[in-house]
Amino acid sequence: MEEQIGKVWDRFLKKKINKSYDDKRVFFTDKRKALNIFYHLLGGEKGKELQIADKRSIKTTRSVLERVSGSGTTFFLAWQDDKGVYLPASLAYFDNEKLNEMHYFWLVALAAKMPANAPNFAQKNLQIAHELIQTYPGFESFYQSAITYLIKERLRLSIKDPEQQRHELAFINSLVDRELINVSTYTLNNIYPFPLWLYPAQTSQQASNSFDDDAELENSPQKSEKTEELKMKKRSSQMDDEKKSDGLLIFLPDSLMSIMEQVNLDRSEDDSFDEDALYNAEDLEEITLGKKRANLSARIKMDLDFAEGAAEEYPLGKGHFINEWDYKKQDYLENYVCIKPIIDINIKPIALPKRLQKMVKKIASELDLMQLDRIKNNKLPYGDEINLDTWIEYLGHQDKSLHPQKFYESVERKCRDLATLILADVSLSTEAGITQEIRIIDMIKDGLMVFSESLNRLQDQFALYTFSSLKNTNVRFQIIKNFKEGYSDLIRGRIENIKPGYYTRLGAAIRESSKILDKQQTANKLLLIISDGKPNDVDRYDGRYGIEDTKKAIEEAKRLGITPFCVTIDLEAKDYLAYLFGRNGYVVIRDSKKLPKVLPEIYMNLTL
Amino acid sequence: MDSSSYFAQANEVELFEAAAAMKLPILIKGPTGCGKTRFIEFMGQKLGRKVHTVVCHDDLSAADLIGRHLIREEGTYWQDGPLTKAVREGGICYLDEVIEARKDTTVVLHSLADYRRVLPIDRTGELIEAHPDFMLVVSYNPGYQNVLKGMKPSTKQRFIALSFDYPNAEIECQIIMKEGDVNETVAQKLVTIAHEIRRLKESDIQEAVSTRLLIYAAKLISQGFNPYDACVHSIVESLSDEEDVLEVLRTLIKLHFLDENN
Ligand SMILES: Nc1ncnc2c1ncn2[C@@H]1O[C@H](COP(=O)(O)OP(=O)(O)O)[C@@H](O)[C@H]1O
Ligand SMILES: [Mg+2]
Repeated sequence: MEEQIGKVWDRFLKKKINKSYDDKRVFFTDKRKALNIFYHLLGGEKGKELQIADKRSIKTTRSVLERVSGSGTTFFLAWQDDKGVYLPASLAYFDNEKLNEMHYFWLVALAAKMPANAPNFAQKNLQIAHELIQTYPGFESFYQSAITYLIKERLRLSIKDPEQQRHELAFINSLVDRELINVSTYTLNNIYPFPLWLYPAQTSQQASNSFDDDAELENSPQKSEKTEELKMKKRSSQMDDEKKSDGLLIFLPDSLMSIMEQVNLDRSEDDSFDEDALYNAEDLEEITLGKKRANLSARIKMDLDFAEGAAEEYPLGKGHFINEWDYKKQDYLENYVCIKPIIDINIKPIALPKRLQKMVKKIASELDLMQLDRIKNNKLPYGDEINLDTWIEYLGHQDKSLHPQKFYESVERKCRDLATLILADVSLSTEAGITQEIRIIDMIKDGLMVFSESLNRLQDQFALYTFSSLKNTNVRFQIIKNFKEGYSDLIRGRIENIKPGYYTRLGAAIRESSKILDKQQTANKLLLIISDGKPNDVDRYDGRYGIEDTKKAIEEAKRLGITPFCVTIDLEAKDYLAYLFGRNGYVVIRDSKKLPKVLPEIYMNLTL
Repeated sequence: MDSSSYFAQANEVELFEAAAAMKLPILIKGPTGCGKTRFIEFMGQKLGRKVHTVVCHDDLSAADLIGRHLIREEGTYWQDGPLTKAVREGGICYLDEVIEARKDTTVVLHSLADYRRVLPIDRTGELIEAHPDFMLVVSYNPGYQNVLKGMKPSTKQRFIALSFDYPNAEIECQIIMKEGDVNETVAQKLVTIAHEIRRLKESDIQEAVSTRLLIYAAKLISQGFNPYDACVHSIVESLSDEEDVLEVLRTLIKLHFLDENN
């Protein structure tokens, strides 16, 4: 019987309170970027992302509503916790698209200004709403009309339960007065959620807290309260568990497995060949040209037989050892890290993929416009034009026979005295999706491809490497293009074949890159790092340890006259990146889809 | 309007005076439009020294600083560049945006920037000792990092360095009131907007909102433009070329001002 009533009630409420205007519906996904920027503009917490909220049980502890309508009532609430801000996937409360859109902006503004765990969230909502309207008068009309409308809708509910009615009215009055004087926590726990509010995370602790300072507790029958509370606690702790498990807990064992396998695999490979000497530019070039193939060890032949025509990783020797900085000891751990150079063989050369052709063409024409490949060469015995300065200087010269008499200048292709090494982080995290079809690694690949085309166009010297690591014993340093190789279809093939690896032992990769750059003869050297997150590895290389080692590696690079610069898509990155690279040594790209377009721009800014 | 009025951000006026007294060169870092040039002009007036300004660029050559031979009917003659002029006559030689010059150009500053205070001129064989009132000041925007340009660390280390940023809210508000001729409410609003947009720096926009742009907005408002239009055209549009970023910024501005058109 009670269940029957509950269902009717539930349907009634949903129909009434969730009355929606589907043709005016606004979707979060369409506004995601704008809302994220807006959140940031208003001073929202740096690391937090705006996300779509799951349906959530309403925060009514032992509420009348819950008793009547059954505990299964769920609701799309806007809420936040320490990690994120969760917004409904779409909004359609109002008969006007602009208002529905404004509703999103309103919620985001609340999120930017409200601490995640404000003790009295209802009071806080009212207070911040008030402040928002003060600072942003443009919100006033939205807020007023939204409240008026929503109150009207709520009043139409004609709630029969007098107690519920009382709570509803108290709440509505408080909205009108912008003051929560007569509204108890108990009331707040007993009304339907309010769409203009931002709710806190639902944790068992908070649930019991609000229970404790509830003044009207005595009025209600104790026993059922207790059991309800228990149920509640159980539910929320379950929710907590769920939350964790869709994060790392479930994920880790899986990847640990593959790590274990990989480690074993590496060990077995280790004994099978010894060609340490191979890792230098000269040999490399020949390998990639395929000339030396016949001379390579049996191991490769086996590989070639084994998977004919399939791309294959080929380790260039057993690897070599380099130092790492241990900030706790304030000293280097000598020969602590093993760098394992790798190159892909059996790569199918490819032409520039169709999807990038338009962009590359556009960038190329922009580069041509800049005419940066032209430079005046002065003081030539013959050339395109007379250099006036030199000529006049000659006229003013005391003894004309002593003057070198080289009056000409000509415009030549500028050979920019610059070598750039691009080091891309291809750790596991780059596997993550930006959208359903596109992963970060895809954007890095496209970025490298477009960037290579641009550098090639500029005839600038460059090399491409990727890296990922599995503890200090295995830093995979993959060669895509070294300084000697020309850019070609084969290099494109290698870029296309890049795959996500494991972790990010950034310091080691920087040291290895610096070593290579240091061998270049140019006056200027740029180390461009593309990364998606903090330095980290499965061993102690995490947090402060990784940061300090990376910082050390960067200092070493600078001492060699190398300019390091980091391009990251890690939004939380700001603090540690400034620490690592200096305030102007990095750039954060909010929308990783822009990577291909932005990389050449950054490069031009750095070198024009 | 008094173009020499200057609101100090911190102790830069005292530092400048001290450096001038000690004959030390000064380097000023700071984003575009934060008041670097205004500061030098002000200090020039305060110390009674002429300011010779050179705006540096890519093609700036050492001859542009030092001087060159020119021709007239009787033959050639030597014409001092702004640097040489200041060295001879005394005064402040101000190299604005020195980072835009190529590294090899700024090497001529070396001997002027240290204890020697001399300028050798190869073409005339002269070695000029700097006038006691000569002072070298350079400024640049550290927001632009460039591998090929900038000053060598060895050059940089010869300067007393002042680091400028946009003035704090209170001072910036006063500057806007004075320079833009608006009341405090409007000025404060502009500063609030600037602070919000400055949060975006480094990721979504190419350049932060400068004090200069805020003054433009203020001037437009005091000319009778509605605040939304004034802000959009002076602050927002120049920040980015990406329509989606611009759209959010416009929304922000709209929220800040009751839109009178609606
Ligand atoms: N501290 C200040 N006092 C007075 N006016 C200032 C101050 N800072 C900035 N301004 C105003 O901002 C404008 C831009 O400053 P400017 O000196 O040209 O910037 P910068 O040289 O750093 O690019 C100036 O014309 C002036 O109106
Ligand atoms: Mg200036």
